[in-house]
Amino acid sequence: MWKTILRRLLIMIPQLIILSLLVFLLAKMMPGDPFSGSINPNTDPKQIEALRRAAGLYDPWYVQYFRWVGNLFHGDLGTSYIQHVPVTSLIADRANNTFWLSLLTTILTYSIAIPLGITAGRHQDQWQDTGVQIFNYITLATPGFVFYILGLWLFGFTLGWFPISGSVSANASGFWGVLGSRLYHMIFPAILYALIATTGTVQYLRTGIVDNKVEDYVRTARSKGVPENVVFHKHILRNSLLPIAAFLGNTITGLLSGSMIIESVFSYPGMGKLFLDSISQRDYTTLTALILIFGILTLIGNLLSDIIMSIIDPRIRIQ
Amino acid sequence: MKKTQLLGSIGLVTGAVLTLAACGQKTNNNAGAHDAKKFKEATPVKEVKKGGTLSYALEVDTPFTGIFNNELSTTTTDSEVAQFGNESLFSTDDSYKINNKGAATFKLDRKAKTVTIEVKKGVKWSDGKQVTAKDLEYEYEIMANKGSKSQRYTASLQNIVGLTEYHDGKSKTISGIEMPDGENGRKIVIHFKEMKPGMLQSGNGFFLESASPYHQLKNIPFNKLESSDAVRKNPIFFGPYKISKIVRGQSVTWVPNKYYWRGTPKLDKITVSVVNPNSASQAIKSHKFDVAGVINSQWQQVKNTKNVNFIANIPLQYSYMGFKVGKWEDGKNVMNPKAKMNNKSLRQAMAYAMNIDAVEKRYTSGLTFRVPTLIPEQFGDYFDKDITGYTYNLKKANQLLDKAGYKKKGTYRVQPNGKPLTIHLAAMTGSSTQEPIIRNYIQQWKKIGLNVKLTGGRLMESNSFYDKVQNDSKDVDVFMAGWSLSSEPSPNDLYNEKAPFNFTRFVTKKNTQLLDEIDSQKAFNTKYRVDKFHEWQKYMFDQAYVVPTVNAYSIQAINSKITGYSLKPSQGNNGFPLWYKVGYAK
Repeated sequence: MWKTILRRLLIMIPQLIILSLLVFLLAKMMPGDPFSGSINPNTDPKQIEALRRAAGLYDPWYVQYFRWVGNLFHGDLGTSYIQHVPVTSLIADRANNTFWLSLLTTILTYSIAIPLGITAGRHQDQWQDTGVQIFNYITLATPGFVFYILGLWLFGFTLGWFPISGSVSANASGFWGVLGSRLYHMIFPAILYALIATTGTVQYLRTGIVDNKVEDYVRTARSKGVPENVVFHKHILRNSLLPIAAFLGNTITGLLSGSMIIESVFSYPGMGKLFLDSISQRDYTTLTALILIFGILTLIGNLLSDIIMSIIDPRIRIQ
Repeated sequence: MKKTQLLGSIGLVTGAVLTLAACGQKTNNNAGAHDAKKFKEATPVKEVKKGGTLSYALEVDTPFTGIFNNELSTTTTDSEVAQFGNESLFSTDDSYKINNKGAATFKLDRKAKTVTIEVKKGVKWSDGKQVTAKDLEYEYEIMANKGSKSQRYTASLQNIVGLTEYHDGKSKTISGIEMPDGENGRKIVIHFKEMKPGMLQSGNGFFLESASPYHQLKNIPFNKLESSDAVRKNPIFFGPYKISKIVRGQSVTWVPNKYYWRGTPKLDKITVSVVNPNSASQAIKSHKFDVAGVINSQWQQVKNTKNVNFIANIPLQYSYMGFKVGKWEDGKNVMNPKAKMNNKSLRQAMAYAMNIDAVEKRYTSGLTFRVPTLIPEQFGDYFDKDITGYTYNLKKANQLLDKAGYKKKGTYRVQPNGKPLTIHLAAMTGSSTQEPIIRNYIQQWKKIGLNVKLTGGRLMESNSFYDKVQNDSKDVDVFMAGWSLSSEPSPNDLYNEKAPFNFTRFVTKKNTQLLDEIDSQKAFNTKYRVDKFHEWQKYMFDQAYVVPTVNAYSIQAINSKITGYSLKPSQGNNGFPLWYKVGYAK
């Protein structure tokens, strides 16, 4: 298996080179540049031109590309054109915010979805199942942004239970104060996100249980006189969790990529929001760095999923 | 004031067009004057008590950058965040003329070609140190030094003796800035190559109106300034409040500066936090903030909110329709006499066919209004109130076209030379009503037989729009854009032969002459300058190369317990209220 992992890692190198080249060229092809937003009668176009030249924006694309790659190997992702701080520090800041929000969301998602999925599967076609199915269809059919905005309006503005933007209150002080404030800012978007992110997990789990219930090995276990509870937890549930485990790798790396929609609605300064802003502001350095990171995360996520699957399901082995 | 205008063009232009979609109602020729009475410019005057916390909504959809230095910051958002501490050196009257009521006094000597700026005694940084001559001078070094990469280094400032030499590294100091009482004195004398009448106005761009704390910044190399802690994390100011905490990109907390020269400000604390503009109306209705801007398109939803005072001003800005009649070549505008749009009757007809007043009535609530000339009314005498602007008149439009030889062939007219006429209109995306409004104008033009098509078949995202307009794309014959102006009214930077921002690329002898006269030595005589401004406005109205369309109110929702909040230029600071006076009523 180690050989396979090593091979997979090696394949990632050409994939990343192609990705970085595409990303770099596409970013440059967008109309405008980081300075085009600064042009007005109170700035001197000559000075703007001088700044563009100093930033190397007039060099041929391959010169710019190799300079970028060269810096990349030194761990230097450049300086953000808009925020005027090193991109690494900017991303570290945002990744930290996103990580905790995503972690909370993931925990909430699973703690809602798994019990629901089990209930529905176990009580197939009974009222419990119908209830879960209705919930599932509603969350499936509700577009995220509508749901978040409604939630924000109801609980954030009308009832005033939760903060409406940011990751920490301006008034928070002290370690516990800041921690509490951060949690308070995260919990609401996390709940909303988790509520409608459950659909897939619930459905996979329910179907898995329903399918496995009638498998031969379950009948064998029952005929051996294995108690029903053990049959369910040891035989049915374990096998039904497989499809969910298949996504685990991407879920883990996804903790860092964040969600553009929820972060925008709640003005939560995370990776998804940073990505959107860097596009609209033509912040090339941040944008290219982010896409590269997202790309790497996806590749690693797939690899992780494969490894996890091969560990928990002996039938699957990476060849 | 100039600094608050930075980024104005494109940022605010989009804003202006956005609001175009969002505002307006009944208007007659003096729309501004009539509607201005709808809103007060200040909160009711009441006795102020000490104490209280004020929360201020910063309505932006991206985190703020947080560069707290006037020469290095590049966004209007940063100026907005800094307004509580970042005080201008000068106060002005209501038409933005500099007076001596602010932190510094100002004296202009035409003969000696100098401006003398003296900081008042007792004007202190928030760490208790007096603001000195060196602090005033250092602002120029930061702006002009190549290392700091400031975007403020402009042609107007190069009128200061020795600034170019300093920028190019040929000299270690700026020879044209003298400190007669030494670095620790309070006076600087600035020598100019040429004196300009605009120098009496704030926002003129010929000298700077702020200072930088030399004692805090002196050991930081210029190229490290913008990322230094002194500028990003613990900046100091000489205004009424000082920063106590910054959460990067999200919020800033301000507390009183006990060394403030006017006295101790009233509030205990001000917190500025970012809120998404889409949530602005909800933020106002739920009283989450004591001060919040109103997005004009959300006016209907918020206007009945209780315990809130709505105050407004009319920003120095306008939207306009421009006709491409030339190209930018070798550093100047070159007009093409044979350009498709280089026909006065055609341009006038298009302007007369625009039913701006009706559009505003339909889509806005009296918040956007037609403007008649290219000089905003807020400039007082400089604004020519006799100009009516282009009021909706299809008959006149048709007559103009008939007379000029644009004959009808079927639905549409053809050019006088018999060739078909298709006019390409470039317009930016904005709020949801932007598209129907533009489609409406295209319908109006169809009524007078003009075939107008959107460049690219749809509205353009602002970057693509300016890309095409700035580079004189052949796909653009007419465009809808806007300008945010500085508080010095001279239109020279926007419309002269050498102005890159003269996007229509029109150049005429008469225009050049009038613009020269507006900024000539004779124009130090206000009456002469006013006359020339009127003449220029009449000329521009008649020629219609650039047709002003609309402007809109900028409304703020203020907690009704707050007093002392005023948007009048004479009561303000850098285009923001004078926070020293703001507090809770007794």
